[in-house]
Amino acid sequence: MSYQHAADNWFSAIIIGIITMAVLLNIFRAKAGAQLYIRRISGLDAIDEAIGRSTEMGRPVTMIPGLTAFGVVAVQALTIFKYITKQIAKFATPMRLLTADAAVYAVAQEAIHDAYNEAGRPDLYDPDSVRFLSDRQFAFASGVAGLIQRERVAANFMFGEFYAESLIFAETGNIVGAIQIAGTTSFTQVPFFVVACDYTIIGDEFYATSAYLSREPVLLGSMVGQDIAKFIFLLTIAVGTVASTMLGADHPFIKLLGMPGGWDAFWRHVLGGK
Amino acid sequence: MWRIDTSTTAGQVFIGLIVLGFLAFFVGMIPLMQALPPRGRRLLIGAVTFLAGAIFAAEFFLPVDKKGENWLSPAIEPAQSTLQIINALALGLGTYGLMRLHLRNIVQKRAQWGYSVVLILAFLAMGFFSVWNTLAEKGELPKTGFLNKGFGLLFDNMYIPLDAAMFSLIAFYIFSAAYRAFRIRSIEASILMFTAMTVMIGIVMLGNIISYSWLGLPVEQTPEMEKNPFSPANIAYNLALPRVAYWILQVLNAPVQRAIEFGVGIGGLAMAIRLWLSLERGVT
Repeated sequence: MSYQHAADNWFSAIIIGIITMAVLLNIFRAKAGAQLYIRRISGLDAIDEAIGRSTEMGRPVTMIPGLTAFGVVAVQALTIFKYITKQIAKFATPMRLLTADAAVYAVAQEAIHDAYNEAGRPDLYDPDSVRFLSDRQFAFASGVAGLIQRERVAANFMFGEFYAESLIFAETGNIVGAIQIAGTTSFTQVPFFVVACDYTIIGDEFYATSAYLSREPVLLGSMVGQDIAKFIFLLTIAVGTVASTMLGADHPFIKLLGMPGGWDAFWRHVLGGK
Repeated sequence: MWRIDTSTTAGQVFIGLIVLGFLAFFVGMIPLMQALPPRGRRLLIGAVTFLAGAIFAAEFFLPVDKKGENWLSPAIEPAQSTLQIINALALGLGTYGLMRLHLRNIVQKRAQWGYSVVLILAFLAMGFFSVWNTLAEKGELPKTGFLNKGFGLLFDNMYIPLDAAMFSLIAFYIFSAAYRAFRIRSIEASILMFTAMTVMIGIVMLGNIISYSWLGLPVEQTPEMEKNPFSPANIAYNLALPRVAYWILQVLNAPVQRAIEFGVGIGGLAMAIRLWLSLERGVT
């Protein structure tokens, strides 16, 4: 099997290198004490409000990472859930974390256990509060919907990768009157969450969540690095749009900006066909 | 270099030794991890994470031959298989957790414990017939009428319809969610409703009937229209509902979705860098 390589187009590899450097430099800058700004995200401000409501009503909080397999998205989702659990632990509010991936389940158990320990309430940790329901999409959906209905949850947090089951979760939560906050990297599910949830975190705001909640310098620095990366992409898009309008889509310069073999084609063109 | 010939006895013995070696290594790691102080444990995990990530990064950046491979390329597939093995082990852990919860429900007679009985019976029955069916398909067990009936009843006649029923629920949920979203409460909601109605009507046959049969708008663009883009005929051609719906989807919707994808991709890359270099302190 053949995989993608830097040699396919060195321009893309250079861009990856620049983004990596931007992220790392800003992390070190933030660690050195630079003051970095992060804008207000109302959905994340509402997390504490949702937890407070659950506490007042004495009803549980559910946390759902969707069908996320263990990876970057799952780690981010669990980081958010760990923060929520620490807040929950202060008020002894019951919680349920429901997973569809066994590896996520194993890590979630440890993360939630750690959260209760860090909050100083290890006695409140119940191993049954983190549950693996099923790795089948709609079996998982029916399990989650059933639990939300039976336990009449007061707050429902959905962070991770979601597919067709997203609306089942969100509408069931809506039926029982839960405050719902969702954040997903699956852009096809964003419209469903927008119409069915109280707050929705869109796109890369999902990755900004842990920086926003913890205000850790490493994460804030990383956010600034991401913004620089976005600026580089915007610049590439603008240059590419102008250049393809003026030079035509088949010009070697346009191929350099992203097509496999573009690097070689560009330098052949620059060196006069050699 | 990374492949072992399993057709020979020496190859099979070598594979067996590798498996036993890894097993001994992982079993040995458990007391080591427990004995280490938290800082040492974190350092060890960080080192293993960095090494594992470095293999993939090096494979991407190293020069390749004419076949598009370098000396690390054959190692990628086995590395990915390792992830599958870890997932399979975790699945056992997940199943154990599920069974423990429901057995406790039954033993302690918690509220609605009857559902736990149903779950365990379904789990055992499905597991029994699925394993038998898989082995029968490989020719290692006989394929009897009892197996066909049992597996057919559980999988084809129960699981598949139940799965489809859950999927079908989405249609009703879309209806109720759309009703709430399209209530005209603000200018934004009005724009949303108008745009959604245009797209919905435009992409179904009704859009064609309204535009071409009732309003009599031009179906095709003639060369004269192309030459005069601001001619009334060309404007009328572009105002047909199917074309407006297509324009909304391709010109307004697609770039926004791509922008979100860019953001998600960059966020994922930054997160991966933090995890690789053990800079992330979330769940690690």
